[in-house]
Amino acid sequence: MSKRLSVTLLTAPAMILLLGVFILPMLMMLLLSFQDENQAFSLHNYSLFIQDPYYLEILWRTIRVSLWTVLVSLLLGFPVAMYMAQATGKMRGIVTMLILAPHLISVVIRNFGWVVVLGEKGWINETLTSLGLIDQPLRLLYNELGIVIGLTDSFIAYMVLAIATSLYAIDPSLNKAASILGASRIRTFFSVTLPLCLPGIIAGTTLVFSLSMSAFVTPALMGGTSVKVLPVIAYEQIMATLNWPLGAALAFLLLGSTILLVTLYTKLIETKRYKEVFAS
Amino acid sequence: MKKINVLGLITFFVLVLVNLPFLVIIPSSFTAAGYLAFPPEGFSWQWYEMILDRPEFIDSLWISLKLATVTAILATFLGTLAAFALSKYKFRGSGIINALMLSPLTVPSLIIGISALLFFTRIGIAGTFTGLLLAHMLISIPYVVRLVLTGLSSFDYTLEKAGYMLGAHPFRVFWDITLPLLRPAIVSGMIFSFLTSFDNVTVSLFLVAPDTTTLPLAIFTYMQETLDPLVASISSVVILLSLVFIVLLEKVYGLERLFGLNSQSH
Repeated sequence: MSKRLSVTLLTAPAMILLLGVFILPMLMMLLLSFQDENQAFSLHNYSLFIQDPYYLEILWRTIRVSLWTVLVSLLLGFPVAMYMAQATGKMRGIVTMLILAPHLISVVIRNFGWVVVLGEKGWINETLTSLGLIDQPLRLLYNELGIVIGLTDSFIAYMVLAIATSLYAIDPSLNKAASILGASRIRTFFSVTLPLCLPGIIAGTTLVFSLSMSAFVTPALMGGTSVKVLPVIAYEQIMATLNWPLGAALAFLLLGSTILLVTLYTKLIETKRYKEVFAS
Repeated sequence: MKKINVLGLITFFVLVLVNLPFLVIIPSSFTAAGYLAFPPEGFSWQWYEMILDRPEFIDSLWISLKLATVTAILATFLGTLAAFALSKYKFRGSGIINALMLSPLTVPSLIIGISALLFFTRIGIAGTFTGLLLAHMLISIPYVVRLVLTGLSSFDYTLEKAGYMLGAHPFRVFWDITLPLLRPAIVSGMIFSFLTSFDNVTVSLFLVAPDTTTLPLAIFTYMQETLDPLVASISSVVILLSLVFIVLLEKVYGLERLFGLNSQSH
């Protein structure tokens, strides 16, 4: 069999699926987002987004919630990655397993667990009430706090793994060299460890941010009906209001703003590093 | 040593946190009370017996299992074929094909779900099992391609050559040499596809009809209206089922390796 024929036969089934179920539908969706009620070309759906403060507010909330998720995941995830880098083979394996396994169980179920813990009659509130510490239940759910908790639980594994991978790659003799040259532990951390694992931090934060921006299930279950984010609004336009062009436009605006913010962020950090290296 | 202890403490805290949902769900599914409570009150199997009275959950479990199984088999087959072509032959456009195979991972599920709904409505398969299957295969194929490509990158093609030189039929070479050596990569691709399909909500959400509702979606919908121990008992069943596959995956391939691949892809 000729090479060309083999390649075609082997890749054709997957390619047909990808082009037919993914690329073509996405182009259709893009076209649809530029249609008005009379199916004529229009920028209305996109200009609506800029003009209507309601949508801008929703976008800002989506960004805010995602930034909080990134911050909390970084603060909690970095020490875990450090611990994994210092741990021995067996311990490292156990930590990896325990942080990754929950990831393979449906997010709906994990969110349900959090509802049991955080709800008005949940574990935390019942415990605090019975101890006499609070008079009325704390609102831990169905607000932005609830969404941030749920998203952090969902995505922290990505942050830990990205940072741990970059920490594993650091040559331990560098730390030794720093301490021989008289650097304190804190100094070593800021001058050696942190700069070297920066690529891991960038990868982790970008990943968690992008995933949080487009998350749908957690905001729907842990944010409730009053605190809505952009993916939830897009879903409602598609499935409830049946305004498909607007729903499609909202989804693309979400993707566009995520890409824009991530690009700005990585550019900013790269420029800063460039200056640090070459300006001095 | 003090530093390690602080890190260890935080690590322990985070590990408890990410596993807390399961530590809470399983006990509360055995509550004897009529409402959701943690810690549970008393012990009973009543909420498990209740599942049997809810045909919608039994039906959707059945649909989910069927969908995940067919998805796993077909996505693994298609993905493995493509990975073979990409690894074995140097050809023009291989870079583009490779990028395309992985592209569904870089686009939010929300967009995949909406675009599939638009397209499937037009060709008349929205809400059908076929539509769900196609969409689930789409989101599983990137993982299979990645896993099998990694398996093939360390594959020694001289072994195949040796087989040919000894006069074996190409099919025999494939079946007796190539396939067994790639088994871990292919099997884990299959298990991962199964779990991807079995867990999925965001894509399915746009594509199900009442008679094709998957289990995670049935739980999602039920949860938005009622919160009772029934959710806990069904969830426990799903957790147990998923655990079987997670342990399998760990044994066959190792979760760390798997996620190392997974996290680079986004």
